[in-house]
Amino acid sequence: MEILAIQGLKKSFGSKEVLCGLDLSVPEHSIFGFIGRNGVGKTTTMKAILGLLKTDSGQICVMGEKVRFGQTRTNRHIGYLPDVPEFYSYMTPLEYLHFCGEISGMDKTDLVTRSNELLELVGLGQERRRIKGFSRGMKQRLGIAQALLNRPKLLICDEPTSALDPVGRKEILDILLAAKEQTTILFSTHILSDVERICTEAAFLDNGRIAMQGTIAELRSMRPSDGFIIETEQKETVGTLIKAFGGLKATEGNSLTFHGSKERFFDIMRYAAENRIPIQRIERIEPTLESLFLEVTK
Amino acid sequence: MKPLSAFMKKEYLEAARTGRLIILVLLFSLFGIMNPAIAKLTPWMMEMFSDSLAESGLTFTNVHVDAFTSWTQFFKNIPIALIAFVLIFSDSFTKEYKSGTLLLALTKGLSRYKVVLAKTVLLLSLWTLGYGLCFSITCGYTAYFWDNSIVNHLFFAAAAWWLFGVWIISLIVLFSSLLLSNTSVTLCTGGIAVSAYLLSVIPKAKAYSPALLMDTNSILIGVEKIDVYIKAILITVSMCIICISASIPIINKKQL
Repeated sequence: MEILAIQGLKKSFGSKEVLCGLDLSVPEHSIFGFIGRNGVGKTTTMKAILGLLKTDSGQICVMGEKVRFGQTRTNRHIGYLPDVPEFYSYMTPLEYLHFCGEISGMDKTDLVTRSNELLELVGLGQERRRIKGFSRGMKQRLGIAQALLNRPKLLICDEPTSALDPVGRKEILDILLAAKEQTTILFSTHILSDVERICTEAAFLDNGRIAMQGTIAELRSMRPSDGFIIETEQKETVGTLIKAFGGLKATEGNSLTFHGSKERFFDIMRYAAENRIPIQRIERIEPTLESLFLEVTK
Repeated sequence: MKPLSAFMKKEYLEAARTGRLIILVLLFSLFGIMNPAIAKLTPWMMEMFSDSLAESGLTFTNVHVDAFTSWTQFFKNIPIALIAFVLIFSDSFTKEYKSGTLLLALTKGLSRYKVVLAKTVLLLSLWTLGYGLCFSITCGYTAYFWDNSIVNHLFFAAAAWWLFGVWIISLIVLFSSLLLSNTSVTLCTGGIAVSAYLLSVIPKAKAYSPALLMDTNSILIGVEKIDVYIKAILITVSMCIICISASIPIINKKQL
C-alpha cells in the first residue's frame, strides 16, 4: 500500500519554477531517501505534503486522503521533523511532549507512557533541564521524539543529519533505523552515505521532477558497472597492457582500471592469456549512489 | 476542545515563564499606585516649587486635590500602560512564525483558528487583569484618601477605556494574521489608533470613532451623558468582532 502519493505537483516562487510536475509514491514500511541538491525543492515538497504551502497544481494523498492547504487534517497521520526544529525553550522535554500529545488528542495514560518511552529511545530520558540549554543534536533527538509521539503512519524528516557532527549523525540514523518498525520514513538529504546506510528506497529530485526512483539495489542496477580493476602479478606487465590497450589507466602498485564495454574487457583477458601475463585480481567497480546521482543531475 | 485548552495552557505558561506576566503585574500595579500618589503629592510639590515660580511672577493659591484629581491621573496614565502592553505582547504571533515553533504544533493537527482563539483569549485576559489591577489599586487608595462618589459614571468611563484596549488587541490579532514581523504589526496597530484619534478631531465624526472611548474627562465631571458614547461603543464592539473573525480565514490561508 502507498502511504504517500504525489501526482503532477507544481510550485513556483515568482518566476522561478521549483517543482514542475513532481510524481512520487512512497510504499508502506520503507525508509525512503528523498535525494537532491540544496535548493532543489525538497523542503518545498515536504511543506506541501504537510499542507503548509499552497501548490500551483497537482495532488497529494496521504493514506489515500487528499491534502488540503491550510487544513491540516491529514497531518494526524504524519510526524514531522524540520531541518532545524524549534521548540518552546521554556519547557522541559517531557512538558513539550505532553503539550504535543494533548494537541493531537492523545489519551492521557497513553501519553505519559509514550512520552517516557520515546525520551528513553532518543536518550533524553534523564533530562530535566529546560530546552533552552539544549545542543543542536539534542534538539534533533527531541524532534524525532515529538514526531513519533502519536504513532504516525508517515514520518517526514527534512535533512535531519545535515547540521550534525559525525556522532550526532550516527545517533540520528540509529534512531531512525529503530523507528522503522513503527512507521514509514520519508527522509530528505543530500548526504548519500546516509541513504546507503539506512534507506530501502530512494528517489532523485532534479529540475523539479523525480529523475529516478526505486529500491537502492534497483537504482544501482540502473547503471551498468563502472568498469574493472585489473591487478597483475608483475609490475612490468602493467606497461605492456597499457601499450596494447589505450583505455587502461595505471593506478597504484600493479593495478589498472578499465572503463569500457564487456567486449573490450574480454579482449584484454584474451591478450593476457595469449601473452601469458599472470593476473592476480580482477574486480568489478560497482556503481555508487554518488556516481549515479552525479550522472542523473548532470 | 482538548487541543484548544492545551494551547491556551501553553500560552499562560509562556507568559509566566518568560517573565511577561510579572512585568505586566508590576507595571500596572505601579501605575495604580502612582495615580493617587501623584494626586496626593501635588500640593506638596506645588509648595516646593512655589518660591522659584514666584520669582518668575507665578503665584499659587491653595491647591485643592480630591478623588477627581486621582482619576484624572488614572486616565492620563492608562494610555502609557496600554502602549507598554502592546510593546510587550504584540509579538505573540509573529515570534512563533519567525522561530517556527508554531509549525510543529500545526503539523500535529492543531487547527489554525484555535491558535487565533487561544492567543486572543490570552491577550484579552491579561489586559483585563492588568487594567483591573490598576483600576482596583487606584480605586482603593482614592477611596481611602478622598471620596470616590464625587466622580460621575466612574465604572462606565473605566469600562469604555477597557473596551478601547480590547479594540487595540483585536487590531493586534488582525495584523498578526496578515503580517510576519512584529514591527509591522506594532506600526499598523499604532497607525490605526492614531487615525481613529485624528478622526475624532472632526466634530461630525467624533461620535463614531473608537477614540471617543479615551475621552473620559467630560463624563467624569458630568458634562457629557452616557448616550454620547453609545455609537462609538457599538462601532468599537463591531470592529472587534470583525477583526477577530477576519483573522481566522486570513491565518488559514497564510503560508508558514
